[in-house]
Amino acid sequence: MIHYLIQDPPQDPPKWDGVPAPDIDQFGQFPKLASTFHDVDGLFYFTYAVCIFFFVLITGVLLYSVVAHRRKTWDQKPLSNVTHNTPLEVVWTLIPLVLVMIMFAWGFKGSLDMTVVPHEAHLNTYKATAKQWSWQFTYPDGTTSYDEVWVEAGKPVQFILESKDVLHAFYVPAMRVKRDVVPGRYQSAWFEPHFTKEFAEGEPREQTFHLFCAEYCGLDHSRMYAKVHVVDAETMAKTPWNLVPKPEDPIEDKIAYGKQFANAQCLSCHSTNGAPGVGPTWKGLFTKDADGNYVGRQRDVLEGGQKKTITVDDAYILESIKEPMKKLAAEFPNGGMSNFDSLKDDEARLACILAYIKSLADN
Amino acid sequence: MTTNTPAVATATPETQAPRETYLNCSSGFMSWAGTLDHKRIGIMYLVGVGIAFLAGGLFALLVRLHLWEPEGLLFSNLDYNQVFTLHGAFMVFLFVIPAIPGSIGNMVLPLMVGAKDVALPRLNLLSFYLWLTGAILATLAIVLGGFDTGWTFYAPYSLYTDKAVVTIGLAVFVLGFSSIFTGLNFIVTVHKLRAPGMTWFRMPLMVWALYSTSILQVLATPVLGITVLLVAFERLYHIGIFDPRLGGDPVLFEHFFWFYSHPAVYIMVLPAFGIISELVSVHSRKPLFGYKLIAFSSLAIAIISFLVWGHHMFTSGQSTYAMFAFSFLTFFVAIPTAIKEFSWVATVWKGSVALNSPMLYALAFLIIFAIGGLTGVILGTLNVNLHLHDTYFVVAHFHYVMMGSISLAFFAGLHHWWPKMFGKMYSETLAKIACLIIFVGFNMTFIPQFIMGSRGMPRRYATYVPEFEPFHQASTIGAIILGCGVALMVFYLLQSLLSGKKAKENQWGGVTLDWHTPTPPPHLNFDHEPKVVHEVYDYSTLDYESMQRDAT
Repeated sequence: MIHYLIQDPPQDPPKWDGVPAPDIDQFGQFPKLASTFHDVDGLFYFTYAVCIFFFVLITGVLLYSVVAHRRKTWDQKPLSNVTHNTPLEVVWTLIPLVLVMIMFAWGFKGSLDMTVVPHEAHLNTYKATAKQWSWQFTYPDGTTSYDEVWVEAGKPVQFILESKDVLHAFYVPAMRVKRDVVPGRYQSAWFEPHFTKEFAEGEPREQTFHLFCAEYCGLDHSRMYAKVHVVDAETMAKTPWNLVPKPEDPIEDKIAYGKQFANAQCLSCHSTNGAPGVGPTWKGLFTKDADGNYVGRQRDVLEGGQKKTITVDDAYILESIKEPMKKLAAEFPNGGMSNFDSLKDDEARLACILAYIKSLADN
Repeated sequence: MTTNTPAVATATPETQAPRETYLNCSSGFMSWAGTLDHKRIGIMYLVGVGIAFLAGGLFALLVRLHLWEPEGLLFSNLDYNQVFTLHGAFMVFLFVIPAIPGSIGNMVLPLMVGAKDVALPRLNLLSFYLWLTGAILATLAIVLGGFDTGWTFYAPYSLYTDKAVVTIGLAVFVLGFSSIFTGLNFIVTVHKLRAPGMTWFRMPLMVWALYSTSILQVLATPVLGITVLLVAFERLYHIGIFDPRLGGDPVLFEHFFWFYSHPAVYIMVLPAFGIISELVSVHSRKPLFGYKLIAFSSLAIAIISFLVWGHHMFTSGQSTYAMFAFSFLTFFVAIPTAIKEFSWVATVWKGSVALNSPMLYALAFLIIFAIGGLTGVILGTLNVNLHLHDTYFVVAHFHYVMMGSISLAFFAGLHHWWPKMFGKMYSETLAKIACLIIFVGFNMTFIPQFIMGSRGMPRRYATYVPEFEPFHQASTIGAIILGCGVALMVFYLLQSLLSGKKAKENQWGGVTLDWHTPTPPPHLNFDHEPKVVHEVYDYSTLDYESMQRDAT
């Protein structure tokens, strides 16, 4: 058990850094509703009120009789020896029965609203691909973003949910939406996003909400997080997710984007500080010589079961991302890296990742 | 109800030589390890589940301490996932399911029906050793690398993880047989070994509850056994039942798992209901209100609980028709449960209410179970469930039922029958203090979890968004208080064995058969064959004279 008490230092700030805590509703129990599913809140507070009524009734009668009818002498007999009272029993069976049937009907109606996807949402369909431990979003126009998604306020949106590995769940508390993401089948979830606050004049009309993975999915389940940006139509038209630096952009921009991307997609398995991880560390892949050129190090790899020594270079890095099982680092003979299919032809993003990996080089 | 001979009154006058009891009738290691006496097996179970509870509690404290800070205080995510899994698996499979039937049930069921032992004493010993084997296998699984699947073993993660899932699966399989054998034994005992005059409706409600539990154990547990075996086969031979990569269906695993594990909730809670039924009656000295309705509601719960497993899967994408049926039936379980709660309160009403420690634990149960049950109603509503599922709201709800209600009922029963078991009394003052500490600590642990759950805090998180920090910290402080209360309880119970006062023959003034035998009972339970001539819970038969003689 001793090794349990040694903590690995966190590599990077958590993905939710900088996202403000959501506003809480007036009763203090829920985040303010940012979608149109008012029935969830309504029925919750109705049931809550019924529960409080019965709780006060039960404990009130109980505590009163404990105090008023407590045994004062050891041979005290009870005030009553009643064994049953049929009218009373019928009443306390029927009243809860009626109440729970109301709750059932209301809840069923509410759940139909949440599971039947309206036509407008069908016209605005995103894909959310879950894998251990990140989210990838594909927009109606085919573009993608990672661990962040932008949706337009007032416009219903449907998410087709797909898992690459194990069970996950798509959970946006402010929208009251939760749906398991089941490998081997497609699920869907929809909501109509809204702002939960008034904006000041000139303030950008944008709010960010949490998206959690709610179904346990292994090691970094708690870090499988995405930001849901609700924005107005004007911002949406600028496709803020589609800002990958182009080849001609300065190298700093590419490194910054590469770092952000790696943080979301790569660093749960690969460390940048030499710490052992699920996969090989990125530290020391390159060194920088006196002239500022990157020199790759020698590394033992397994290719088709054959051990060989190669020099790390751009081609090797790119090949390892596109075909992770082709050349395996000798320390990790079983491989096991996920496929990043969407990256295969995404030269702009690949360039950023490569720039970031090189930026880790020692001088 | 009483026996035809006043066994209690005449048992003690010649106190020079200690009377022969089941505790001193034989000695030596084998007299315990090979015993067929249900009372000694009950004591061995008590020691076993007690240790499992303390281990599970230790894991719980580690979990709570880790969550003091948003980025975690103690563990890497990998280790945290193992510790919370250990907490769940130890508590559910080694403590909550076997605790009450194995220890208190074993001890009192034959006494209550007026039998010399359970019907199948050798099978009874076997179920204890199966429990022990399961406990050893579970511990072995920790040594073999632990397991990080959560106690629910959801596929396909449980198929892919490189931890000791097969070993813990085997442990669960073996523990299942332990549970089945206990259930089978109790069913046969209740049918075949009731004393003359002990009709079905003269049985104490503890017996009804254990009987209903046993039916569930025998019918539901095999499904769990099959499911964990399938997971093991899937891991070893890749047969493709649950693994989507091989054409299997992970949701099928959820159906199988909850088909057992929902009835299992009632396997856990029905014996607790039985204990509370006994206690509120004895300590209010009043017949149980609505005896038949409570007995039938136990059976109703046992039957309906087989039909509601889908309410654990409202977000899994099952069909609308299934959602409709499962939600509807779930609300139907709420009704018999509500009837029980109302009937207990009505029993206390106008009773002669003794505020001794077993009753305090029982009252704590009634308050906590009200919260646990009512929040279950909130979770049963379909659309609200879609928001609350897999959050801390669910965690808090089932801890109110499992820890707050079942464990407190177990403690209540332990305090109630402790003098019967050992002939010794613990310190009542310390017991009352411990009960208060446990009650306060428990509520402080789990009320914040309701709030953060409905605000969106998902369960099984090793790290969390910073706005939940104050709730987690309050919860952790509560857990520490709760832990102190439990430690105090363990202390004074053990102390009573060494230096406790001698218990009275009929410590609380009970009138069921378990109080019509000497304390502690002789090897074969009764000095004379009991014969039941009165209705159950008929306190007009209470022998005040002998109680007074006993008191002075």
